[in-house]
Amino acid sequence: MNPDRSAPSIELARVSRTYGEGTAEEVRALRGIDLALVPGAFVSVEGPSGCGKTTLLNLLGLLDTPSRGEVRWDGSPVGLRTDRERSRLRLERVGFIFQRFYLLPTLTAEENVELPMRALRRPRAERRRRAAQLLAEVGLAERARAYPHQLSGGEEQRVAIARALANHPGLLLADEPTGELDSVNARAVLDLLVRVRADRGATLVLVTHNPEVASRAGRHLVLRDGSIVADRTGA
Amino acid sequence: MRRPRSSRDLRHARWQAVLAVAAIASAVALPVVLVSVGGGVAAHELSSLEDTGYQLVVSAAGVHGIEHAHLDAAKLRSLPNIQDAAPILSVPLDVFNQSGNVSPVLAEGVVPSQFVPTLGPTESGLFPLPLPLGDANDTVHYANGTYTGPAVYDVLLSSTYARSYHAHVGSTVVLSPTTNISLGRRYNVTGIFGTPLSLVQPSGAYAALLLLANLQLLTGYATGPHTAVPDGADTIEVVVAPSAADSPGALAAVAREVQAAFPSYTVTTLSSEAAQLQSADGVLTGFYLALSSVGLSIGLLFLALILVRRVERERRAIGIRRAIGVPGVSVAGSILENGAALAGAGGVAGVIVGWAVVQGLATWGSSTVQEAARLAEFSPAFLAELVAVVVVLSALASLAAVRAAWRVDLLEALR
Repeated sequence: MNPDRSAPSIELARVSRTYGEGTAEEVRALRGIDLALVPGAFVSVEGPSGCGKTTLLNLLGLLDTPSRGEVRWDGSPVGLRTDRERSRLRLERVGFIFQRFYLLPTLTAEENVELPMRALRRPRAERRRRAAQLLAEVGLAERARAYPHQLSGGEEQRVAIARALANHPGLLLADEPTGELDSVNARAVLDLLVRVRADRGATLVLVTHNPEVASRAGRHLVLRDGSIVADRTGA
Repeated sequence: MRRPRSSRDLRHARWQAVLAVAAIASAVALPVVLVSVGGGVAAHELSSLEDTGYQLVVSAAGVHGIEHAHLDAAKLRSLPNIQDAAPILSVPLDVFNQSGNVSPVLAEGVVPSQFVPTLGPTESGLFPLPLPLGDANDTVHYANGTYTGPAVYDVLLSSTYARSYHAHVGSTVVLSPTTNISLGRRYNVTGIFGTPLSLVQPSGAYAALLLLANLQLLTGYATGPHTAVPDGADTIEVVVAPSAADSPGALAAVAREVQAAFPSYTVTTLSSEAAQLQSADGVLTGFYLALSSVGLSIGLLFLALILVRRVERERRAIGIRRAIGVPGVSVAGSILENGAALAGAGGVAGVIVGWAVVQGLATWGSSTVQEAARLAEFSPAFLAELVAVVVVLSALASLAAVRAAWRVDLLEALR
């Protein structure tokens, strides 16, 4: 059966996330968030350090579960799904792009891009073809055999984007993807994300401190102390 | 310039893999060497046993326990289903060559006409036939129970001795029961014979073959003319009639009859000797494998340690895989796969190393070690089983790493 790769409609209903609940180190990362994302939206999330941006992304992408409240994908609560089912949803429908790239150091650029396809047991030839196509799309066709330590920061992030796109996900979650890049590379990466989102009709949620990035999003969220304090629409 | 961390990680991971493979390889090489050489030697000895021309051995406690060798052999030949019986006295002697060099040899006293039928096809080819010992029936000197006849002082020497001490047909040597040459007697070398390789029985590398009566007299078991002497031997090799020799049941019946005729001697069949040899080989193989299991356990523990260490170092990589959506089962599977691949590579490398060690021993070992190593038998089935066992056991070694990977907190790993 072909996997469902469509962009999910996501709802967060009174979602809270508390780490170390009931301990001296208790941290309330999110407090009663209500949020609805329509498929194909481009949302930027902004806020000071520690305000819960990454936690929000983790909940949207099913990496984490809320302490209270409910996360719904296409109307169905994901909290009822098993860990294995959530892994499957991530694999088929979510593409993650992290601030620190998180490429596997022992794999080449090409192998890193193939990783999600391997997990879906795609045939080797198909994996190779798609990895080459994606690397060409992000301008790294010549660097396919390079290991991450042989790439610049901008190149690493482009490989990470190619990996995020490998399984045609409907939801792209980018956590400060330009945070560790110089302005030239940052702009190139941002242009790339905006382009692939437009090409594929995927939902893009992008955490950023960069006002320019935020200005290009269709919807702009501002978080403070675990709550959404501003929710603006219009690029 | 300081190498980037990921580059060092890559090198580190490769070195760990090399070390794990080396540990498993050295653990596997040990049983490869022990079992191949041990099995080869046992198979050779077994084949030597099967190659003999006799089927029963009559022996007595003590080296010269058979006191009436000529008479007992004759009595044996008179029993039904017995074709030939050859008494043999084996005694270490000192041999002085013409240059006065002395060397110990294993001397065998035989009755030529009785001894030759006990030789198997391979052994027959090693001797000059008929045996040039002058008195085919050993009757002249033995003279019906006395030692009054003229002795024939002829001796055959092994080719190994002849090469070492430049002995040849026509030369003479002095055979003596001790290193005192004055107690010896000069013999004419009338023939040279080859010696079959044996690693578990007394070796005949330096050997001499002479008439039984001569050896009895020389070693004091016959003390001279007109004296009452024990007609000593240590074994009588018995050739059974072909009709009985080919059937284990009939052979056992003949053995029982012989035993009944000689109740104070031990009667063994070669098939029982072969069974004993096989049993001893089985015990030794078990011992080798038990010994090897210690090395293998250490190798697998090392592998387990490396896999756990790798999981610890790769917590983030595991977190990334899980974040992408790779299920925990797949992560565990890849660890098991990794362990199996390292164990398999180590197993194959161990087989190659073991083979190379045996070849090295066959080339550069001491003479006995060389001979043993040359007999090594590399059984493909055993080697494949060994590698398969190592690969299967690697799953056990991987369990700790799998558990550690399973416990990796996804969000913590990504921090």
